[in-house]
Amino acid sequence: MNLWQAFKMAFKSIALKKTRSFLTMLGIIIGVASVVIMVSVVQGQNRKTMEFYEKMGDNKITIQAMKYDDMDNEVSQKLQDYCLSLSDLLVGVTPDVEINEKVIIQYGAKTLSVNDWESMRFGGSINWDEMMHVKLGSDQYGACNNYTLAGGREMSYLDVEKTNPVCVLGSGAKEALFGFTNPVNETVTINGDPFLVVGYYNSMDIEYWPEMDNIIVIPYTFNRTMNSNNTMDSYVAKAKDAQATVEAMTRLEVFFNGLIPMNADGYRENGYTYVQSNNSNAQEMEQQSMMQSLVLGAIAGISLLVGGIGIMNIMLVTVTERTREIGIRKAIGAERSSIITQFLIEAAVICSIGGIIGIGIGCVGTLIAGKLLLQETSMLPSMTITLGAFLFSVVLGVIFGMYPAIKASGLQPVVALRAD
Amino acid sequence: MLIDIQNLYKIYNEGKESEVRALDGVSLQIDRGEFVAIVGQSGSGKSTMMNVLGCLDIPTYGDYYLEGTDITSLSDKELARIRNREIGFIFQGYNLIQELDALENVTLPLIYRGISVFDREDMAMAALAKVGMDDRAHHRPSEMSGGQQQRVAIARAIATAPPIIMADEPTGALDSRTGKHVLEILRDLYRGGTTILLITHDDGIAATAKRVVRLSDGRIISDNPQEVDWE
Repeated sequence: MNLWQAFKMAFKSIALKKTRSFLTMLGIIIGVASVVIMVSVVQGQNRKTMEFYEKMGDNKITIQAMKYDDMDNEVSQKLQDYCLSLSDLLVGVTPDVEINEKVIIQYGAKTLSVNDWESMRFGGSINWDEMMHVKLGSDQYGACNNYTLAGGREMSYLDVEKTNPVCVLGSGAKEALFGFTNPVNETVTINGDPFLVVGYYNSMDIEYWPEMDNIIVIPYTFNRTMNSNNTMDSYVAKAKDAQATVEAMTRLEVFFNGLIPMNADGYRENGYTYVQSNNSNAQEMEQQSMMQSLVLGAIAGISLLVGGIGIMNIMLVTVTERTREIGIRKAIGAERSSIITQFLIEAAVICSIGGIIGIGIGCVGTLIAGKLLLQETSMLPSMTITLGAFLFSVVLGVIFGMYPAIKASGLQPVVALRAD
Repeated sequence: MLIDIQNLYKIYNEGKESEVRALDGVSLQIDRGEFVAIVGQSGSGKSTMMNVLGCLDIPTYGDYYLEGTDITSLSDKELARIRNREIGFIFQGYNLIQELDALENVTLPLIYRGISVFDREDMAMAALAKVGMDDRAHHRPSEMSGGQQQRVAIARAIATAPPIIMADEPTGALDSRTGKHVLEILRDLYRGGTTILLITHDDGIAATAKRVVRLSDGRIISDNPQEVDWE
């Protein structure tokens, strides 16, 4: 008996027992579809998270240190000096603090009101997406925070040292004030004082966080006059590479111990310190999402297994039901291998059809889940998962479909013929 | 000698209290072209005899030579080959596959024999024509009468033109008229040179054979040729 004949027999048998075939497929359909959807959604979520960290920038270290009794930014100055001294590890360092008081920014007829808590409160809701932030930074603010220039230049070292009234705009601020015209060399007023726009950044384009683009960066030396000389407790540094990131963080921890000593309990009574890198965040996230994938993968795998056991059940019943047929076939000269081949192909065909339908439903489900859960317009499962789930279901069906066939075909024909 | 069995035993539950000796030391020789009826009461071991002779079952002890080949030493695959090429079976309960139509049932042994697609349908149709069932080729067993089903089963048995036909109570489920028709077909095959083994409990049916072997309690109690007047 050739393979083509076996295929024809298998298809015939499937077509003749539609309900049974459909029930067998159902297990596989549900199994494959759930694996595809679950894993795809987790992967999509992870991709989004990782994208966020990528845009935020690798090797970026956030540093905070503050001593409660320090009113002259002495600690801050020391911290910055120390960071600058780590020039073999760090590419740049910038203070990263924000003016917390009410600020009015004007250009021509346009006015941006920043931190206008009162009018916001009375005006009703706060629109976080449109909120502006006036940032105090150094000439390396853009580089450290992963902004890229869309036009003009960054603030210079001299601008910072001399407290020159210059500013760099994030794309959100640029759009709000200038629309589509070029802001470079235009003058805006901040609380009435003129500031020259020297450059503007490209959009970071991070979903859920448009605030990243709603910034106006001015030299941190304005802290004294514009920010009531508030403590500058937050810095951002950019390390050369992943290894330098770890090294710099270790050194900073040591430096903190000298700066704000811990008491016997390992607790800093006089202030606080904080050092964290995106790398470690990203790593943590990656580990977390890996765990998520594993857990969901296991759940999905179990549903596949259940589908497989369903197949085994039905196949077992089928073969028992068809033992007589197997006897007849053997009596008229079917070899054992012919019968096994027939049942094997039957199982494989059923599982393949089920698998393909499952993948179809999985794709549609992924699309819908992507739209509802992740706001993605066209999320589709990856090739590997689809193929993996498909192969798994077919292999499962073949294994479970074969076992009873092997059993029945090994019977003496007369025993099989006697079965009812 | 076509079939040669020596001291054949088929024992179920050997050594236990419930031991059954379905065949208890049977020796029998059958030549090519004979028409033999194996007769016995229910439980005499005649069906077991046919199962063993037809390679559907294996004997517990004893020798079985089919055309000089020692059947007891053959593999499963070789036995399948013998069932396919050397022996055609006709069962009391027809044993047709219900999901397949008459033509497909008759084609089945030809498929297992490896006959090409182009020839086997013609061969199957020819076999159906021989039993007068070619006009019902596309009917399922459930759409046919018992006599028609048995004729399809005969067509299936003769489709591969085997030298031996074994019929186990072929008329048992049929009325006497259709039963006669089935026996007529067997006689035609005999005249064509096929060896016929007819297993029955009915002396009236056995009267159609040229040689009658009587079985009782797994033993042969008589083996006589007889004159028959078929015309």
